[in-house]
Amino acid sequence: MTPVGLQHYLVLAAVLFSAGLCTMVVKRNAIGILIGAELLLNAANINLLAFSKYSAGTLDGAILALFVIVLAAAEVAIALAIFLNFYSRFASVDVDRGDQMRG
Amino acid sequence: MTDVLGIVMFVVGGVLFVLVSLTVGRLFRPRRPGQLKGEIYECGEPTVGKGQVQFDLRFYVVAMLFVIFDVEIALLYPWAQVFRQFPKAAFWDLAFFVGLLLVGYAFAWRYGYLDWTRPRAGGQADDDAQTPEQER
Amino acid sequence: MTALDLQALLPLVLTTATAIAVMIAVTITRRHGLAAWLCAAGLAAAIASIASARECAPRHISDLLVIDSFARFYSGLILAGSLVVAVLSYGYLKLRTDRHEEYYILLPLAAVGSLVIVCSANLLAFLLGLELLSICLFALIAYRRTGRGDLEAAVKYLILAGASSAFAVFGAALIYADRGSLAFGPPGLALSSPVALAGIAALLVGVGFKLALVPFHFWTPDVYQGAPAPIAGFIATVSKGAVFALALRYLSTENLLADGRIIWLLTAIAAASMLAGNLLALRQDNVKRMLAYSSIAHVGYLLIALLASASLGRPAAAIYLTAYFLASLGAFGVVGALSQPTRDADALADYRGLAWRRPFLAFTLTAMLLSLAGLPLTAGFVGKLSLVFSGVSSALWLLLSALVLGSVISIFYYLRLLAALFATPPASEPAISSPNTPWPTTAALLFLTVALLAIGLWPAPLLDLIQKMAVAAW
Repeated sequence: MTPVGLQHYLVLAAVLFSAGLCTMVVKRNAIGILIGAELLLNAANINLLAFSKYSAGTLDGAILALFVIVLAAAEVAIALAIFLNFYSRFASVDVDRGDQMRG
Repeated sequence: MTDVLGIVMFVVGGVLFVLVSLTVGRLFRPRRPGQLKGEIYECGEPTVGKGQVQFDLRFYVVAMLFVIFDVEIALLYPWAQVFRQFPKAAFWDLAFFVGLLLVGYAFAWRYGYLDWTRPRAGGQADDDAQTPEQER
Repeated sequence: MTALDLQALLPLVLTTATAIAVMIAVTITRRHGLAAWLCAAGLAAAIASIASARECAPRHISDLLVIDSFARFYSGLILAGSLVVAVLSYGYLKLRTDRHEEYYILLPLAAVGSLVIVCSANLLAFLLGLELLSICLFALIAYRRTGRGDLEAAVKYLILAGASSAFAVFGAALIYADRGSLAFGPPGLALSSPVALAGIAALLVGVGFKLALVPFHFWTPDVYQGAPAPIAGFIATVSKGAVFALALRYLSTENLLADGRIIWLLTAIAAASMLAGNLLALRQDNVKRMLAYSSIAHVGYLLIALLASASLGRPAAAIYLTAYFLASLGAFGVVGALSQPTRDADALADYRGLAWRRPFLAFTLTAMLLSLAGLPLTAGFVGKLSLVFSGVSSALWLLLSALVLGSVISIFYYLRLLAALFATPPASEPAISSPNTPWPTTAALLFLTVALLAIGLWPAPLLDLIQKMAVAAW
């Protein structure tokens, strides 16, 4: 049995990244899009941690991953607040409702 | 490799067994759907309303505050790592950090973001206080 | 951490302290004037601290930040821009929304994010600054919560900024894999490895989004239209200026311009931004959208300085950005001053005959538009001239012809707005009776106009300062 190595993490991260990107493109629900953005960030995080452990051998990547977790949380908090306001204005979190501006 | 093969064969065998027996049964049994058959059998409550309930919007505000204050813990892991090396600097570092969180906490408290039913804090107009029921 | 480190970091520390001080003040009492004064005073103190510490040598602070004269120049520009935005916002917010104070917490925090970007010597610091700036901007764009437009703009910006910064983090991870550290060079990145190349491409998505360069520009007009006018000015100037300074530093520390593919890619992006920005601006009847498209073109022009040789390119970038800061902030300031409590003055009709109704605002806007168009006697002319010089010295003929073509196109739409300003006023009552301009707004606009004309007429002091500060080697 082959031990879990760098490639496995990279494949997982690539799958997560593609899934996140697809979610962001396909979903019309704001919360769904937010979940997609989180998947993207977490894919990057897995990459950072894997590189930190296997190839770089420094802690830089792990520290950046910690910061990314906190930043993602801050982003989610603000995003939820904005979506709440969006909901009370449009009675929906379907981002296609916001289509006033064109041109 | 052989132990992996065993697991794979086990999984494939299990899936095949279920699929085959269900398909064979489907070929032979009569098919008579009816209202009575669709209902909950013996021990279920009759359902009321839909499964997709909308949560009260106030839950989201609580969730938001939780997310903000909860994830700060992540930053404490590296802090704990270096604490023994630089106890004095690390202490003031954390004191500053927690102090900042406290200012944020005081802010949320002062303007009633922690209350389940929002008072009009300090007599100020507060347009967040509209309940979601009014909006709909 | 020595005293000298602390002195070098003083602008950052003071700006952060401003945000905290405003937050404590708001927790104690809600007073718009107090919050605005604290914010403005703190930002002014931070600017003063840059001026006082000008003679420090480049200082590296714990791998993350580097404070050299380049960083100091752009920090000054960012803080001055933020201060002007804070002053303009006071008059703007007074007419709108019932809660103003949190705005003055978010604004210095966004400035801190920009400062961190400018001073970063490490991808970690850059990403931290980028996210801090983005997160504050989400809230600032949605700040009014009154119209449909601002929430829509905030949601669009939120989604796209979230995706683009995730790309930037992913790119940082790939670059980290290639070189084993997040610090900027030397030795420069070896682009022979596909991993590093993919990392640079992913970083470019994040940077290109913030700079609104052409394949990543779709958010710009909607966000500028929906955001409050001073915040639109902030996004156009401070946020772009910070990321541009970082791009300048990153490209040269990593020695990326040695690679032909990167040069080719940046040339294509620059030319496309100049032409697309100007052509799309031609069709706009909405003034804020027009300014948005023209800002895309302006960053396209700036890329010439990025691609030119360092000795001429860096001062040209600094001069052009200074001029662009003055003119954009002034233009959005006038839009804000003319705005109604319920909607921003963004229709072309709002400006018809403005010269007869509000001569001061009309004169200010005229100066700003002439500078954006790059006509003589304004700072924009000096900026564009130095861009052209830097481009000629490096023989970037394709980009220079795009610059000339773009500038000619841009004159049409700037003139269209100017013609509206000086048209005879309609006989009936003017469509909007805009509120009186509060004195801080007038003062800020006066300052911008005087600075704009002073640099245009007598650029020597600014050029000296830039030669001393913005060219430093690192």
